[in-house]
Amino acid sequence: MQINFGGREIAIKLVYYGPALSGKTTNLRSLHVLTSEKSRGRLMTLETKDDRTLFFDMLPLILRAEQQKAGGASMTLRVKIFTVPGQVLHASTRRLVLQGADGIAFIADSQVSETEHNAASFLDLRQNLKDLGLSVRQMPLVIQYNKRDLDRVRSDEEIRVLASQGREPVFKATAVQGTGVLETFFGLLHITWTKLDREHQLAKLLGIEPGEFLPLAARQMGVTAEVSTLLSSCVGGLGRADQVAP
Amino acid sequence: MTTDAPDVSVDDLLLDGRIRLEDLVDREALEELCKSFGTLFGIPVRIYSSDGALLADAVGEHELCAYVNTTPDGRRACASVVGTVKGRDPGDGGDVVHPCFTGAVYRIIAIEYDARRVGRLIVGPFLPAKVGEVPASLLAVDPRFEAARAQTLMGRMPGAKPETVTRIAAHLQATLDLILFSGHKALVTSKMHLASVKESYRQLEDKTTRLQEAFDRLKELDRLKSNFLATVSHELRTPLTSIIGYSEMLSEGLAGEMKPEQLDFVKTIHEKGGQLLSLIMGLLDLSKLESGTMRMTMRDARIEAVLGEVSSTMAPAARKKGVRLEVQVAPGLADVRGDPERLRQVFLNLVENAIKFTPSQGAVTLRARMATDDLPMDDEQSGLSVLAPAQARVEVSVSDTGIGIPAGERQKVFDPFYQVDSSSTREYGGTGLGLSIVKRLVEGHGGTVRIEGNEPHGTVFVVSLPPSLATGVAFTKASASPASA
Repeated sequence: MQINFGGREIAIKLVYYGPALSGKTTNLRSLHVLTSEKSRGRLMTLETKDDRTLFFDMLPLILRAEQQKAGGASMTLRVKIFTVPGQVLHASTRRLVLQGADGIAFIADSQVSETEHNAASFLDLRQNLKDLGLSVRQMPLVIQYNKRDLDRVRSDEEIRVLASQGREPVFKATAVQGTGVLETFFGLLHITWTKLDREHQLAKLLGIEPGEFLPLAARQMGVTAEVSTLLSSCVGGLGRADQVAP
Repeated sequence: MTTDAPDVSVDDLLLDGRIRLEDLVDREALEELCKSFGTLFGIPVRIYSSDGALLADAVGEHELCAYVNTTPDGRRACASVVGTVKGRDPGDGGDVVHPCFTGAVYRIIAIEYDARRVGRLIVGPFLPAKVGEVPASLLAVDPRFEAARAQTLMGRMPGAKPETVTRIAAHLQATLDLILFSGHKALVTSKMHLASVKESYRQLEDKTTRLQEAFDRLKELDRLKSNFLATVSHELRTPLTSIIGYSEMLSEGLAGEMKPEQLDFVKTIHEKGGQLLSLIMGLLDLSKLESGTMRMTMRDARIEAVLGEVSSTMAPAARKKGVRLEVQVAPGLADVRGDPERLRQVFLNLVENAIKFTPSQGAVTLRARMATDDLPMDDEQSGLSVLAPAQARVEVSVSDTGIGIPAGERQKVFDPFYQVDSSSTREYGGTGLGLSIVKRLVEGHGGTVRIEGNEPHGTVFVVSLPPSLATGVAFTKASASPASA
């Protein structure tokens, strides 16, 4: 997170991590489509000609307090959402992108055949965080099981059982249809915000009431669904009090 | 906690909050853009960077402005307005109107990129409404200004409604935004490319350092091993010499007559002692060669003589096994620079091996000839006079008609202790040291040794040695007609 008092700006960085072809860029594209033009900047994709992410994708969101507080200028919150290139060979780029992340959405492929790639990518994430001096336990993290529309995927029941054993909230998605994308994003935004607000009193800096942030973000992004509905679609990950509480 | 973080972050590379118009767009292209807008709408357009530098300018002077500038007072008044406009901030709304004493106005509009201000757009001067009366403020600047003349020139000044200017500015903004985004993306891509390469390089360097450390450690271990081998071999040899000496004396009856059975036992002790000694000598040689302490007395040596000696030494063994042993030396063979004793050891070893693996009625042939190394040469043979001497080789091949060595095993047989057949029931004995010693001895002479197949069966060991530079042989292709020796 970066706080720039001169520029009256707070920037937080969310990273979509996961194995190659699990749908990280698709999540960002869907998010781009599902949010209003006013709150977001251009989606910057740096890709090769076969549509594989070469370096990263980046979608900036810009959120502001809606009512000017008396006696002081409020700040702008800039949320930058990055994807990493999933292909194994881009290891160095993944580390570059991961550096300074405030929260991570791990996009897993639901297909049973991708089990090992999911695991390898998660271990890669853990190692990279470690190399950067961070710990996966302290990092706000949500997991998305993407591609629910395909055959031969892990069943809902399997995911429920897996999620109930894990620490992280798990969301199910079909990013290519836009399903589960906002849920994952708000789940991640929620736990990241909760942690950062506790550490840096972000609500105060932004000039909003605590607890007002997520509804405000949803309004400015043009999301009509209730935030609590979005958050409650997660399975598992309730072992920690600061995690998603519907 | 130790970190292994990259030197740069993506946020730095994205130039977040530090984007400057002038870094992302080509000035000439921006100038062209402004000119095309100016031509299209007839209104002057200027673009300033956020720190006030003029980046592009499409301003043709209006006739009214030129008229105003004909008098010193007019010039002063005009410069004052233009100066104020240049420095004026577009305010919180990002869009302000600044009036001129001529009745015309300027619009100062913020240029935003990624929700941040990166510069200003100044549109004008233009007339905001239908041409009316010449304003008193213009005539007040200089009493010499004529109202009628000013009125005429004012009629020729472009006019635009505020909403039209807003639309023009919005269109220019959108165009600029697209250009800025493309420029930004290209810049980020190239910076990212560099950073990725740098990061990969950093990781590779780390790995190289670790590998180098491991390599140094292994080299040290290897040296210790060679030292150990040399010491142990030496220590083994001393008592063994006594065993061999005393058993020899016993068998010669120096300690009194022995029964035939006793004599038989003692002779076995003597013979096995000899075998053990040659094994130990081999180990000693190998360890000396590996540690680089093998002493070789280099001089010009005649290969023909070396091969003759080898042949006469091995002839009894060959005859005993029923194997034909032949030596063929081509004419014009150069001397080699080497230690004749060690060269003899090389060929003795190879011939001994060849006889061992060749069945009775077979043949072992030693051939020596001049050859050229297969350095890459182009068709014109350019530089031949320089290259050929360096390519000349004395090539000695030892071919047999034995069991042969499979192609996949040919490199490995030179490793110490390696046996093609390493089973406990193998047919042919040996320590597996001979060929590794051969290889190291040949390399110690600046030569190479390789294995080829012998048709229809058997093996050819080809030893290639650099010729002595003193003999001055003709560097021609090898003679095709080897003469029997």
